Amino acid sequence: MARPAVILVGADKGGVGKTTVSRTLLDYFASRKITARAFDTECPKGTLKRFHPGITDVVDVTSVSDQMKIFDTVETSGAQVTLIDIRAGLMTPTLEALRNIGFIDMTKRGDLAFAVFHILGPSIASLDEIAETSKFLLDARYFLVKNFINNTTFFDWDEGTYNSYFNKIPHAVEVVVPKLSEMACEKVELSAVPFATFIADKTASGQPAGYSFTLRGYVRHWLNGVFADYDRVRLTDILESPDSAAKSPRSNAKVAELSPQRASS
Amino acid sequence: MTAFAIDRRDVPAAPSPEPGRSVPAPLYIVCSPNRQVGKTMLARLLAEHYVADGRPVAAFDLSDETPGLADFLTRHVTIPGIQDTRGQVRFFDGLIETANIPKIIDLSHREFANFFTIVDKIGLFEEAQRRAIEPLILFLIDPSPVAAKAYGLLRRRFAGISLLPVRNLTVAKGLPYCASFPHASRLVVSLEIAMLGPAARAFVEREKFSLLNLAKQASPYSDMSARTRAELDAWFRRARFQFRELELSLIREQILTALHSDLCA
Repeated sequence: MARPAVILVGADKGGVGKTTVSRTLLDYFASRKITARAFDTECPKGTLKRFHPGITDVVDVTSVSDQMKIFDTVETSGAQVTLIDIRAGLMTPTLEALRNIGFIDMTKRGDLAFAVFHILGPSIASLDEIAETSKFLLDARYFLVKNFINNTTFFDWDEGTYNSYFNKIPHAVEVVVPKLSEMACEKVELSAVPFATFIADKTASGQPAGYSFTLRGYVRHWLNGVFADYDRVRLTDILESPDSAAKSPRSNAKVAELSPQRASS
Repeated sequence: MTAFAIDRRDVPAAPSPEPGRSVPAPLYIVCSPNRQVGKTMLARLLAEHYVADGRPVAAFDLSDETPGLADFLTRHVTIPGIQDTRGQVRFFDGLIETANIPKIIDLSHREFANFFTIVDKIGLFEEAQRRAIEPLILFLIDPSPVAAKAYGLLRRRFAGISLLPVRNLTVAKGLPYCASFPHASRLVVSLEIAMLGPAARAFVEREKFSLLNLAKQASPYSDMSARTRAELDAWFRRARFQFRELELSLIREQILTALHSDLCA
């Protein structure tokens, strides 16, 4: 049986690709016919909202009224997934707030699913964030994301050091976002549409866009790689109640298999 | 001196499609992972075959060696760059934008892996077929294990795309190719480049040498003997017969496919 899920995408550093990962997640859920809504905490201008305006609200996650707007409606909004793209520096305060309002206790009871996508930066400081964040997440799905989209090199990571942090959190799962050609990345940014819409060669209003076939091919190939990793970590399983999670088959649809309507939605 | 004009009676006329149906324009990819196997020679023969008919053709020199295709057919050849994304966009988008012109790519052995990796990533062949462009991989066979391995990889990776072994008798005479280079196309055509004697070969390898010009007697090759001219003329005609067979085979396949769809409808 499906249960609503809250997914936090964050990092305490800026510029590590939180919004990019959020966008891939929204495309992924759309491809799996899982309804999602999103909250963009880049208040007031919003970043995620540019790409997914129909399902995204810009909120100030530090304000109580906006916290109510997000968390009081998780079970009643009709969306199976509530995704929150957390602004740089707000991940730890948001987790503290969730603990204080009793949200994390709710997830322990299994009524709600809770997952955190922690986008790692290239510096060693990012590893300290893991320790800081993980203490809130004993009952949550914790995904550590290595984002290579902009050819990030995790240059000052010693494999042994990384593993020592990684192993402290037995339920943490590593997710890899591969590199995407800079030009393809830039064109999708400029077009301000979801990746799947870019691949389908549509504008935000659903009209034929005339994007480069080559760039669309690169984006499709890249997004299929991202989706394959989400399938590998059985992301959709978070929606299933703990007792039924082991029984259901996994979905493996690729971007190329999406119907045009779905792909451009 | 004997005149050796190309007589239309010697070579079958250019194939015409069934009224109301358009012939898929071929996209020839002349390739091998090895050098000195006759790739540029085959690309030249193909290009001159179209020019001899007065039909449009676009040729692309990805040979990165001199003399390349562009050194022989300056008017019809473009030298694209596919090292960066910008060049790839220009080249690959251009390939599929003009659907009705036959195109020939002379692919360097050095670009072999990179080219097919990009083609695979961006889904060039699938998109080409959607736009009535028929990709035909013309693979120059030779006795090296590298060639057999590369052929096998292409065959597996691009199943459904015509992969035709081409035997250049200068390098692959007597090479049994059924086992290492099995025919992988619905097109029932066998391509072979005949051997040339040393004198004729020396002319063919001269920069800017054109079989077409020779046939039209517009060539300044006053040092060419009548015997060499006869040899070259017969050689070109033989190659053109095979290209005609290939084009006819394409049309036949298209008709059969259309009939099959009509019957199934």
